[in-house]
Amino acid sequence: MLSASTASTAGSSAKSSDLLNSRSIQHVVVLGANGAMGAGSGALFTTAVPRVTFLARTKEKADGGLAAAIKMVRSSTVANRVETGSYGADFDRAVAEADLIFEAVTEQLDLKREFFERIDKVRRPDSIVATVTSGLSINLLAEGRSESFRKNFLGLHFFNPPNVIVGTELIAGKDTDPKLVDFIDEYCTKLLGRAMVRTADTPGFAGNRVGFKVLNECAILAEEHGPLLIDELIGPYTGRAMTPLATIDLVGWDIHRAIVENIYELAPDEAHETLKLPEYMADLMAKGVLGRKTGAGFFGKDDAGEPIVLDPKTRKYTQKSAIPRPELPFIEEISELHRVGRYRDGMQAFVAATGPYAAIAQKVIAGYISYSFHRVGEVTDDISGIDRIMGYGFNWAPPSILVDVIGLKPSIQMIEKAGLPVPPALTNAQEGTMFFRDPQVNVGKFFVAA
Amino acid sequence: MAQVPEVYVLGGYQTDFARNWSKEKKHFVAMMREAVSGALEKTQIQPSEIDVAHTGNFAGELYSKQGHMGAFFLEIDPAFSGLPTSRHEAACASGSIALLAAGAEIEAKRYDLACVVGVEQMKTVGAGEGGDFLGTAAWYELEAQGVEFPFPKLFGKLGDEYDKRYGLKDEYLAGISTINYANAKLNPNAQTRTWYMNYDHAMSRDEFNGNIGGRINISDCSQVTDGAAAVLLASAEYAKKWAERVGVPLESIPRIKGWGHHTARIRFEDKIAESANHEYVLPHVRATITDAQKRAGIADSDGIDGIETHDCFTTSEYMAIDHFGLTAPGESWKAVEEGAIALGGKTPINPSGGLIGAGHPVGATGVRQVLDSHKQVAGEADKYQIDGAKNVQTLNIGGSGTTSVSFIIGT
Repeated sequence: MLSASTASTAGSSAKSSDLLNSRSIQHVVVLGANGAMGAGSGALFTTAVPRVTFLARTKEKADGGLAAAIKMVRSSTVANRVETGSYGADFDRAVAEADLIFEAVTEQLDLKREFFERIDKVRRPDSIVATVTSGLSINLLAEGRSESFRKNFLGLHFFNPPNVIVGTELIAGKDTDPKLVDFIDEYCTKLLGRAMVRTADTPGFAGNRVGFKVLNECAILAEEHGPLLIDELIGPYTGRAMTPLATIDLVGWDIHRAIVENIYELAPDEAHETLKLPEYMADLMAKGVLGRKTGAGFFGKDDAGEPIVLDPKTRKYTQKSAIPRPELPFIEEISELHRVGRYRDGMQAFVAATGPYAAIAQKVIAGYISYSFHRVGEVTDDISGIDRIMGYGFNWAPPSILVDVIGLKPSIQMIEKAGLPVPPALTNAQEGTMFFRDPQVNVGKFFVAA
Repeated sequence: MAQVPEVYVLGGYQTDFARNWSKEKKHFVAMMREAVSGALEKTQIQPSEIDVAHTGNFAGELYSKQGHMGAFFLEIDPAFSGLPTSRHEAACASGSIALLAAGAEIEAKRYDLACVVGVEQMKTVGAGEGGDFLGTAAWYELEAQGVEFPFPKLFGKLGDEYDKRYGLKDEYLAGISTINYANAKLNPNAQTRTWYMNYDHAMSRDEFNGNIGGRINISDCSQVTDGAAAVLLASAEYAKKWAERVGVPLESIPRIKGWGHHTARIRFEDKIAESANHEYVLPHVRATITDAQKRAGIADSDGIDGIETHDCFTTSEYMAIDHFGLTAPGESWKAVEEGAIALGGKTPINPSGGLIGAGHPVGATGVRQVLDSHKQVAGEADKYQIDGAKNVQTLNIGGSGTTSVSFIIGT
């Protein structure tokens, strides 16, 4: 047993070093280095690359990105490997010299395409071009570009903040060189410490497709039940660090809209209605409500610093302390079980819980499992890709972990009870099948006591 | 020394040291449960097979207002009802003391299969309060009371003593820190695996690498960590049956081939006074290491393929290098400069990342070191594997070099 595993490690490491040596990345140019994703990704590249150029509209903005990067990773030494410049003065020279051009400009198709056109004119034919887009089509972004550009172009979706969240999606376009995809996969795994997931070029790729479906469904449910109750029902005890509506506030309502509208429009699937942006969100966005960055979204604080909560029906805010909280004894029971590490017992109590509130929570979790498994073959080759991005990218209990701790049969029953399609992967599985197969992940870490 | 019965290490499990269990709102029993369940699953052993259980923990009374931590084994699985349990404490060496006790009981043929878990939940309090709690590992009244972060200061003095006797440059301490952080990036359970670190950062002295006291900066320190590690120790009789069951030859199962255990006076200045005319700064640490090698029938550190040492600070690893005999006394810097202690070097130290890189949940550290040594010898350390490791030695230290324990794990 021991010798066999050692032999296979030796074999794969030889192959891995061949792959890593197939290209060399000594200079990275980051476009949009003043944004959070640009600055954070730029800092990440300095851990493996001796020279990283931060570019923005002005040199001052690029300098601001470097200052942000330093603060983000808490090390002034980032500056030792970074030079800054502007699109006007430095773009052509820097891009022509770069081994990897990393695009992190604002998430707008036309804007990104303008940049790619400009890159195409000055880049070396062998340089790599990567976009950090969180869901725009890689093929669409590459349209009209030269053959060498399309061959060397791919999506490299880091999650924010990239120095903390290691989950990363890797998306090839139809013309991307498969050898380049293998190289970037290996490079990011070995040299940047990423947990890589290859996804298809589908709207929202894997993570945002599944994650924002759940988030948007919670936003829809908030209209009837209120944000406070929904965030408690689909709270940390269901397998996540942050509650869903607080997550939308943090991400920003505008980003949420861009992601769900893109999926709703381009990927009509069996859960189409749960991806429709609620009208109250559109109304409030028109009035400038964008979540935490504008002071309030679902949650905020009044002038006296007291917590307030949105009432989606009236579009007005109410004092949190004035909102009645129904008795939710099942959440308390499950939390007590999670607190002492009895996660299986906790999640089995979850599926066994009765009453209208438990039914809401069960429906969302059932939807998450059903939707995830139904995306296999469409966004990733197998469920492990979706598991990895939900775990490493969203810090949510991956769907397979939920099925494992709940149990196969009770999981199927929960999905049926919610009136949702049961994935064939579950129906066809033998009782006792364990779906989650990443020994490096502590299953218990996702189940937070309330 | 007299022939004693073998103690086999069947395997174990550690929790991800990057987790914050207070943020997860969990009781430390959840940590014990994950570590023990993980160890049982990894080794394919049923809970009912365990004969005895030992917990290593330093300061549950302070961090969680809970003593009597051996008893919490019974909260892990109903099959543990009636199991004999105990808790062991010797500051940061608590985990190793628990292992020594479990090993001794197997040698005495009282039991065939022991579960040892080390556990510490430290993030229940802020940095200042936690630093004060750690001060109880020194002579609190004389060395820690009213002192902000007493331990960095004590281990800063260890560096000062080296400087006085032999000379010591910061660049070597920075080198030690850099290697530990680099190794941690290869360890999926290491607390700092995503942290930003390089040699220049370890040498920097600005707000991001602030001074903690004396010559100790943030990059010289081990971490405040929540974590647990569990291992299963077995008699030859049990190991034989287990080997058949899981289909491995008995000879391939790592054993505790040797151990050492000494205690020095608790106050740092008393230790230093005692060693004034000695070639080693902490002679009892040296004796702990050489005792383990003698018991294992290993002449010196040339027979050791790797080390998991107690780098609570870079100065403690600097001390360990010459105390292990990797260099002549006072010449530890040579091993740093030549790369001998880096992964791929002659005798890699802390391929796991050690206490600086992997993290330091105080009562769990000794158990984690033995578990990592087991992984090395079994060829299961994956990205931080030392090629062909046959013998790996640990050094676990409680207090300012006060209680020292060393194990040699090998086949």
